[in-house]
Amino acid sequence: MVDVDKFIPTENITLFRSCLVSAEYPGVEASTKFVFDKLGVEYVIDRNQSCCTGLGHYYDIFDELSTTALAARNFSYAIRNNHKQYVPMCATCYAILKTSAKILNEKDDVREEINKAFRENGLEEFQYNKGDIDPRDDITHVVDVLYYLKDKIPEFKKRDISNLTIATHHGCHYCKVHYNDTLCGYRNPEIIDKICEVMEAPALQWYDHKPRHCGSGFRQRYANRELSLDATVDKFESLHKEKVDVLLVMCPNCQLQFDRYEQVLEDMTGDKHYFAVMNIAQLVALYMGADPYKVLGIQTHTVNVEPLLDKLGIEYDSTEDTLHVRNE
Amino acid sequence: MDYGCVILKKLGRREMTNESEDDLAHKILKDIKAPSDLGLLRCVQCGLCTSMCPASRHSEYDAREIIKRVLDNDESIIEDEIIWNCFYCYTCHSVCPVGNSVCEVNQILRQMAIDKDVGKKQIESFMSFADSFLEEGLGIIPKEYHGQLKIDYGKHWENLQENLQEVREELGLDSMFLLPEAKESVDKTLDAIGFKKRVDSIKEVRNRK
Amino acid sequence: MSETNRIGVFLCHCGGNISDNVDLDKIEEKLSENEEICSIKHHENLCSLEGRNIIKDQILRENLDKVVISACSKITHGATFQKYIQPLNPYLFEMPNVREQCSWVTEDKDKSTKKALSLINSAIETVKYNEPLKKIPTKVKNSVLVIGAGISGITTANSLAKQGMEVTLIEKRPAVGGAMIQVGKVFTPDKMSEDCAACLLNPVIDEMVHNDKITLLTNTVLERSSRNAGNFDVILRKKPDYIDPEKCTSCGKCTQACPSFAPDEWNEGLNNRKAVYKPFPQAVPSTYTLDDDFCIKCGACINVCPTNAINLDAIDEIISLTVGAVVIATGHQRFDTNKRPEYGHPFYEDVLSQMQLARLMGINGPTNGHLQVPSTGKVPRRVVMIQCVGSRDQMPDGHKYCSKVCCMVALKNANLIHSHYPDTEVIICYTDIRTPGVYEKYYKYVQDNGIQLIRGRPGEIAREDDHLIVRIEDTLTHNKQEIPTDLVVLSAALESSQGTIDAAKTLGVPLTEDKFIKEKHPKMQPVSTDIEGIFVCGTAQGPKDITDSIIQANTASTKISELINGGLEVEPHIASINVKKCVLCGKCVDNCRYQALSIYQNSIRVGPIACTGCGDCIITCPQEAISIQGQSDERLEASIKGILKDKDDDEQIIIAFLDDIGNVSANNMGINRVECPSSIRIINVPFINRVKYKHIKYALTHGADGVFLGEYPDSYKHDEIRENVQVMKKHLQEDGINPERLIIHSVFIPYFRGLASQFKEFDDVLATLSS
Repeated sequence: MVDVDKFIPTENITLFRSCLVSAEYPGVEASTKFVFDKLGVEYVIDRNQSCCTGLGHYYDIFDELSTTALAARNFSYAIRNNHKQYVPMCATCYAILKTSAKILNEKDDVREEINKAFRENGLEEFQYNKGDIDPRDDITHVVDVLYYLKDKIPEFKKRDISNLTIATHHGCHYCKVHYNDTLCGYRNPEIIDKICEVMEAPALQWYDHKPRHCGSGFRQRYANRELSLDATVDKFESLHKEKVDVLLVMCPNCQLQFDRYEQVLEDMTGDKHYFAVMNIAQLVALYMGADPYKVLGIQTHTVNVEPLLDKLGIEYDSTEDTLHVRNE
Repeated sequence: MDYGCVILKKLGRREMTNESEDDLAHKILKDIKAPSDLGLLRCVQCGLCTSMCPASRHSEYDAREIIKRVLDNDESIIEDEIIWNCFYCYTCHSVCPVGNSVCEVNQILRQMAIDKDVGKKQIESFMSFADSFLEEGLGIIPKEYHGQLKIDYGKHWENLQENLQEVREELGLDSMFLLPEAKESVDKTLDAIGFKKRVDSIKEVRNRK
Repeated sequence: MSETNRIGVFLCHCGGNISDNVDLDKIEEKLSENEEICSIKHHENLCSLEGRNIIKDQILRENLDKVVISACSKITHGATFQKYIQPLNPYLFEMPNVREQCSWVTEDKDKSTKKALSLINSAIETVKYNEPLKKIPTKVKNSVLVIGAGISGITTANSLAKQGMEVTLIEKRPAVGGAMIQVGKVFTPDKMSEDCAACLLNPVIDEMVHNDKITLLTNTVLERSSRNAGNFDVILRKKPDYIDPEKCTSCGKCTQACPSFAPDEWNEGLNNRKAVYKPFPQAVPSTYTLDDDFCIKCGACINVCPTNAINLDAIDEIISLTVGAVVIATGHQRFDTNKRPEYGHPFYEDVLSQMQLARLMGINGPTNGHLQVPSTGKVPRRVVMIQCVGSRDQMPDGHKYCSKVCCMVALKNANLIHSHYPDTEVIICYTDIRTPGVYEKYYKYVQDNGIQLIRGRPGEIAREDDHLIVRIEDTLTHNKQEIPTDLVVLSAALESSQGTIDAAKTLGVPLTEDKFIKEKHPKMQPVSTDIEGIFVCGTAQGPKDITDSIIQANTASTKISELINGGLEVEPHIASINVKKCVLCGKCVDNCRYQALSIYQNSIRVGPIACTGCGDCIITCPQEAISIQGQSDERLEASIKGILKDKDDDEQIIIAFLDDIGNVSANNMGINRVECPSSIRIINVPFINRVKYKHIKYALTHGADGVFLGEYPDSYKHDEIRENVQVMKKHLQEDGINPERLIIHSVFIPYFRGLASQFKEFDDVLATLSS
């Protein structure tokens, strides 16, 4: 196992669900479970856990107190369930949960205000004690776990993926919010790259705008569409220049921005170059032999992943995809 | 001939009394969102934030200028639309040489704006998110924007939305929804912490012209 | 303590300063009841020559063996009376301070008199335990180890050798000269010119090479060091001499024959060199050297060497040495710009560091001094320099400090480019230009020459077609822009070198939070370290320019000369080990921050130069085997006993143990006539940790109402001291003594009023406790 300076769990894990994974890219959840099962990671998915509020939080709808109270509620379930190792699939869940735990530990007045609200409304069981959750060690992202166990990944190799040109895009809310907890750098983030390396599929060392964001900007994608897409174009053009086959992400919000908008961006820039957009867990699952439709869920991607499978010589039955509107 | 007075009128004056701590910068530092070591007052206006900031790159927004106006105690910034351009990407936060975070300052400024109508108007079009959360404990893409999204994402996305349950089943996934009693306790929590009241007050802005 | 004492007491009136407010007749009357006192004398001014005669006369006439002189502070006249009590041993007297700490701070004459008597009683009890002591003459070896042969180390070595000391100068690299020889040009602000660094440095190097008192060892590092009394026993490791310097004629045939390449450090990796090589044409020593990390042992060099100088089986040389002093001149290294990948140094070959630019411009550099864009080989159309890379940056891996020289370095290199390539535009992107003193004139001069300055910290560098792009906001014009450029030059922070960190570890010298060598007192004792006998100079101590490094180097040699040539005599109050009790556990050795203690031939040895007599070792010793000469536990207890001797029932007494700073502060209360509660009785101790729980308990169970500890909080032991007090309070509680009767406060020399009010406050608290 890799030597890291923060605790990375392989058991007692609550695999924390993401609203965008659930509704947009459910294959990310299926792939993560597939890979975790192979690697012998022990986890539960708990339907008592609410969403982290992340999107609403950064739409500015949720105030810090409400977000933190919901986190305290979630934490209490995980602790009672003896699975307090939070492993989210989304960068924003990761950052929100860490921030909430920090506030609950450090700001005594806020913790007390929340506990008081719980007490006065018959929700005593949700009360949070200082230190219940360690923001550094008890909240890690799926990529942290994959990185920690990366040397085991080749043991489950079923497919060769070494002929791909890969670019990685690391979630800002994984890298930059709690940068002291980020593994493998945040100014030039490389944690996904390191996971690719063990699959003998090295990613581009650098491309212009590599550490920059996807452009979604929470509200911007909806309320300020032009600004959002202008920002995405920066990275999009740089990826075109590098002629990448696949862009790997670790957060469904980034995945949505690059995958759902690829056609829109091509129309905007007049720049055409196919690349697939995948979560790193999906690629690892593919490498381990997972079914493209039944595990990776590529039918939920706007950009077809099939050309990538063709390049890799992986067989598939395209009739399993009933969502895409076929031209023929 | 009274040159002196004309010039003096333009000068600011720093009173000899103890420096008051109720200016904008100190209000921000005291906010629940502000980390205890936020380097706001250490800012030397080096401009590193601006030169890495995507919003600054693509709009009139200037990260450094946001801090300048806060330090100038220019409260008009709360009502200025420009604060709504930040992407919350935290790039500035992760590189600032003095540990400041324009991103977090912006979040606080927006909350201050939401205390007034000007901010509520900016977010009222996202309120379906709040409704979903209160009903299901789940986040969603705000329904108010589905029209444009259907154009951008195409028919495939509509198919996905309509067939989500089957797709999830094919993938061997459990229901994405919370257990009924969990939904209830999310609702109770949000009531207890005052979120419901907040939602109502934001929605009220729709009724005002 | 001697069996019988013949003690004489002398009471100074101090021209009324004491006698106006202390009834000395009453004191004499009281003292005369004490049988051990053989003589009591008054005088207007005991410090006068007449006073001297009286003291001497009484000592001889009454055959006195101990003396108490009730007068002013020891700081004022301690040395005077040490002479006046001859023929007695100078340590056989005590001076109760009844002026600054009694008559000047107590308004009520009765109270003042009572206090004076108690102070004198304390001195009488104390002096019984005084022993005849001698100052310790010390001699350390007339030899010095200088680590690092850059400009600082060479300068120190030259100066020490000229003062007659034997110097061993070691250098990790194969050639001397450090950063200065590499940098090519240095600038002289007065002349507004850039001068040849090698031309300035070579005479200094020559002087070193030709001085018989200096032994230069290159490819050599310090491996171990142990303190042995005043000296240091050091072990050096010299890399194998694969090429015999005696035989090598520097013909260079080996290099031609060598098939193995390595990055050329001399040119900052801009080109490659062979595994057998000469670091640079003017290298000293001028012999060739072999890099065993890259040598493939093929033997090609051996075959071509005309003098048979090469032996690939050579082994390390271990050198052992005893020196009287050590100088750390291990220099700096530059911030790893890979830690700021957004500036593209790891990805784009046209992004350089300032040192790489200097090499590119150096006449003995990879392009023979021609400035060329690495990717195109052309003269750059534009050069953009970025300041503060890794400096003034509190983010992880960054340095909070300003590297001090980068503004000048950028201006120098910018001006050099401008003068050789007038068509090349140079832009410096800065946050603040820091050019103190006359450097400001150079800055304006360079600016007048057309160098452009943009105020802003660039965000990132990108590659576009055949050039680079710098993304920046000009914060003065609010202009967000992308600047196309052929070259980008990064002004990387200066940081502590690995050699510095290694040397500190080996020698046990503390580092600052920035990992530079910590000075004993950065303001008052520059170049001295916490370890007496180890000094620092140059950038090992912190970022600085060549001139400042030379100044420090010369200062270090002066301090060493004081130590070695001065024939020091040190105070005898140093640690002494009871060999019968000592079990050689070594706890005291590890605890001593001055490295004054060492284990030598099955006993603990005390270095008299290094030992300050602080007594901190006493409480670390589980065997209670350590004492400070002339300052035994019993003597401290006697001081307390004396104070409490004639205590009245209704009298409140606080014993205040003050360290030296606290004692001076208390004297200042007197000098400034600040009222101090008459309950206060001060006992001066060298270090607060010297006061044991048993002393405090003794005081509180023998009549003292309270114990006040006054500590100057500069010591790294501060936290430990505070914790100890908490522990002692717990013990008091267990022993049924109210822990509130013990208090600790920080003391500072100028804040004597604060000390007075702390005394007053404590006095009031105790009064309510007892009522």
